[in-house]
Amino acid sequence: MQIGQSEHIYTVSELNRTARETLEETFGEIWLRGEVSELTRAASGHLYFTLKDDDAEISAVRFRSRSALLSPMAVEQGMVVLALGRLTVYEPRGRYQFIASLLQPVGEGALQAAIERLKSKLQAEGLFDPAHKSPIPRFPLRIGLVTSPSGAALRDLRSVLERRWPVAQVFLFASSVQGEAAPSELVRAIEAAERYSQAEAPLDVLIVGRGGGSAEDLAAFSDERVVRAVHGCTIPTVSAVGHEIDFGLTDFAADLRAPTPSAAAELVVPDREEIIDATRARAVWLRQSFARRLEARAARLDGLLRGYVLRLPGRRIERAAQELDGQVDRLVRMVGDRFRDRTRRLQHVREVLRLSDPDRPLERGYSVTFLKGESEPIKDASRVPLNAWIETRLHAGRLLSRITETSKDANTKEVDAN
Amino acid sequence: MTIEDALGKLEEITRQLEDEETGLDASIALFEEGLTLAASIKAQLEEAKLKVEQVIEKTQGTFTLDSLDLT
Repeated sequence: MQIGQSEHIYTVSELNRTARETLEETFGEIWLRGEVSELTRAASGHLYFTLKDDDAEISAVRFRSRSALLSPMAVEQGMVVLALGRLTVYEPRGRYQFIASLLQPVGEGALQAAIERLKSKLQAEGLFDPAHKSPIPRFPLRIGLVTSPSGAALRDLRSVLERRWPVAQVFLFASSVQGEAAPSELVRAIEAAERYSQAEAPLDVLIVGRGGGSAEDLAAFSDERVVRAVHGCTIPTVSAVGHEIDFGLTDFAADLRAPTPSAAAELVVPDREEIIDATRARAVWLRQSFARRLEARAARLDGLLRGYVLRLPGRRIERAAQELDGQVDRLVRMVGDRFRDRTRRLQHVREVLRLSDPDRPLERGYSVTFLKGESEPIKDASRVPLNAWIETRLHAGRLLSRITETSKDANTKEVDAN
Repeated sequence: MTIEDALGKLEEITRQLEDEETGLDASIALFEEGLTLAASIKAQLEEAKLKVEQVIEKTQGTFTLDSLDLT
């Protein structure tokens, strides 16, 4: 075969350059969907990988300078992505490749958009209205949980409750939390919890949730049926979906949103240590308050006993008197000791009285003299006439005598004693 | 009595003891009841052990419980 005069003979470089220019012009910037494989992270920070579908593949690269839009770490082997970029040829190797400027997991954008639309719709319907929210009991004892029996949510909830509030009882209503069947299973579990709460003993709170996962993993918690079931549940509900930044629309429909299942447990139950401390402080207060009351009562009684009661106006006297009556028994016990003092004092008085008895000096030899028939003792000789009969009383017995002489002088007296 | 009831009762006792009108005899009874309640609350909280049950709905409205307690 002859090469014609007009035929252009390409060099390899020229061909590769021409192919590159043609591809770039023809396709411009496009979206490409494929699964990531043969992923290599170069030391330079560039990301080399292959995008493929069931029948074909194309090599791809994302340069570091373009990576700001999505962290290279977020791209994983096996992930189906939507890549925005340009088709080109790497001229030195004649390799046809795709240069991606943006990578995003498939479904994520569409999923987020769908969730946002649903959120607006349910919000307009009033499903997220704060007026619908019921308070969570302060001391829940029967805690319902809708989640997977094998997931992180149950494990986390259990460990928090064991530490903070082991008086609680957890009732698990099992459901898958991701995948096709998850929304209908979640709805069934929430409804079963509702029936259980009504048929058996009421549940104080129902926690609906799961541990962290990808946006698609969490999608069941933004499913309209699940959101409506949470909204319609008469048990106070707590939505606890994924990690801190994750969310499900159930977060808005529930009575309380918790960032994680562990946080749900922390929010819902009190800490037993705090209650034990508070109770201990309360017992101390009771003792002190009671002691103060006893002291105050003792002081008041004291006041009453001192007779202040007599200065009070009529009604208050009556009240005080009743008060006194009511306290008599206690008083008897309280002043029992003083009664013993009084007995002792009585003996003393008796002794004083005995010492002042007029008969007592006669014992020592003194005597008392009366004019016969009179009761007043004679104190003045001049008042006694001659020949009068006088009676002298001694300690033992009496003398009857007749006056023969009287004298004012205490030293001269003559008595005719017969 | 549940913890909540006991705590409520303890609060009520405190209120009554704060009230000057409460008589001495009533105070003694309240004081004793308060201390008993405080001890029982503490014991309940310290001795409790978490129970976890899986609820299985056999037919609609009839349930069985399956203990998931850790041994």
